[in-house]
Amino acid sequence: MASPIADVSYRDYDGPLFAARYRWWVIAKQGILLASKKRNLQVLSFVSAWYYLAMIIVLFFVNQGGSGGNSEAGNRIMEGIMKNVVWKDQFLHGFSFAQLPLLLVTLVLGAGAIANDNRSRALLVYLSRPCTKLDYLIGKFVGIFVPIFVILAVPTILFYGYCALSFNQYGFLRDAPWLLPQMLVVILMSAAFHSALVLAVSSMFDQGRVAGATYAAMYFITNFFTVAMSITWATADGKAPEPVKHLFYGSIDGLQIGFCKAILDTRGSRPFVGGQRGAEANLPVPAPPLLAISLILLAIIAGSAFLTWRRIRAVEVVG
Amino acid sequence: MNVVEVSHLTVQYGSFTALNDFSCEIPEGCTGLLGPNGAGKTTLIKTLLGFVQPQSGTARILGDDVVSSGPSIRQKIGLMPEQDCHIPGMTAVSFVAYAGELAGMPSAQAIRRAHEVLEHCGLGEARYRNVETYSTGMKQRIKLAQALVHGPKVLFLDEPTNGLDPRGREEMLDLIRSISHGKGVNVLVSSHVLRDIERVCDRVVVVMKGQLRATGTIQELKAIQGQPLDVEVREPNNAFASRLMEIGAVVGPPKNNIYRVQLAGDVRQAHITVQAAARATNAQIRGFRVAERSLEDAFLDAVQPGEPPHILHATTATGGAQ
Repeated sequence: MASPIADVSYRDYDGPLFAARYRWWVIAKQGILLASKKRNLQVLSFVSAWYYLAMIIVLFFVNQGGSGGNSEAGNRIMEGIMKNVVWKDQFLHGFSFAQLPLLLVTLVLGAGAIANDNRSRALLVYLSRPCTKLDYLIGKFVGIFVPIFVILAVPTILFYGYCALSFNQYGFLRDAPWLLPQMLVVILMSAAFHSALVLAVSSMFDQGRVAGATYAAMYFITNFFTVAMSITWATADGKAPEPVKHLFYGSIDGLQIGFCKAILDTRGSRPFVGGQRGAEANLPVPAPPLLAISLILLAIIAGSAFLTWRRIRAVEVVG
Repeated sequence: MNVVEVSHLTVQYGSFTALNDFSCEIPEGCTGLLGPNGAGKTTLIKTLLGFVQPQSGTARILGDDVVSSGPSIRQKIGLMPEQDCHIPGMTAVSFVAYAGELAGMPSAQAIRRAHEVLEHCGLGEARYRNVETYSTGMKQRIKLAQALVHGPKVLFLDEPTNGLDPRGREEMLDLIRSISHGKGVNVLVSSHVLRDIERVCDRVVVVMKGQLRATGTIQELKAIQGQPLDVEVREPNNAFASRLMEIGAVVGPPKNNIYRVQLAGDVRQAHITVQAAARATNAQIRGFRVAERSLEDAFLDAVQPGEPPHILHATTATGGAQ
């Protein structure tokens, strides 16, 4: 005979039920939780920060070697090296070199976000609850946006902190006092751009892998133009036709790098400490107009969100 | 109080009319939604859930309009869809708890409750397994568990026994019956399997081509007009039948030693008359009951082609002596 403790008959739930507000946060929280458990994402997070890590190591040894014993000769060496360093360009490089790993991060986080739900008809679970399409869309977006933002922002802030503490005497804060807020704006835009775009692609398929392959194809095909324009610019020694410098930014990562250049107001320089200041560095393509590239990015984000919105339909999967 | 009230509801997909001026009231309890494939059963459920906007008419669940009060209504509803549905990459307990949180439950309560309902649905041992590894029967159970987790007042079950083997089907029907009787959960079961409906439901709503064809309790639908009696005798006895016809009864030919007898007056009076005729003709009566159709006959009668509305309410079905 079953004891009362083994009674498994159905009992009504009489606990609290929250009103149908902020339901998107439940979805976002779940997305972030699942992301945090993915080991490949943890590896990719380190890989995406490789430039900052490398710069910290380089600067550490330069600092140690240059200021060894606080000798005058050592200080001269340090000043010689540091006068070539354009601090905001180091952040531009950190952001630029993170683009390829960031593509992989985005694929891990977002390729299956809606596609897998389409395959398993999970929309019925969501939309049969007090959850609207908007809740679902925002929840999925935030679930991708937050991890991307964290993955980009943490190394940036750590590198900024290291430089601010160690190299202030070489003009770090003086040269670019708004560097950190500017970089956070860049990272916000980048995370929003990737999240919106990958969600739109994901919503069009019912296989995460197919969605991922499509997004990767979009990235590499558009990236081809960036590479082609870059080569054209380099071989023309800065005298390439006008369209070249605009088409250079016509890719997924190009748009973001262009936005970063425009925000930081730099045309870039060579990586690491061998860079040249400002106009002397004639190889990198000039920054695009900030307003124009901002509008393009915002239009793509809005268009992607609209496309995703149109694709989220419970009826289609009811049968 | 009616759980569902639908009034002149019309739903169209492009030029196709899925529900055509559909009206019905579903009281508390367990109700079966019967109809052939494409009759409009799933569209009715979709509309009640707010997935589909009706062209005209109104629908209310527990007194709330489904169009204007969608989210608050869906907090009181549980849906077990026809197709497999789950959230990829989650164990059963995390999936059901997540479904509870989506319905508005606090996180800790959702987890506690997930364990409870999984145990109730017979998935206690498999609760930490990934749902994608479940068998068809287990997937049906997890769909029921996620629909129950937040303690809904109304439960929509769309073809709950689809793909189940006989034993799994019996267990699922037992589960549904246990939930729908005495637990405060009103259940609407959509199915075209009449035996399942008869097993768990008290009432049925028959839908055909987007229109209501019949509604009432199962007993009412199975009843035959005029309340004929089925009289089982030891062996066919022509004298008995003739005697009954002499006193004005309509008697059908015996079938498996059973005569279908229709007499004027109430059942008690008919009983006395039949016993008297048996005594007079030395016929041995073995059984005696009010005749009824099978639910299948009642259903086929309700969905037979005809000009709508061909709506049966309570005991208006036709059919007499065999």
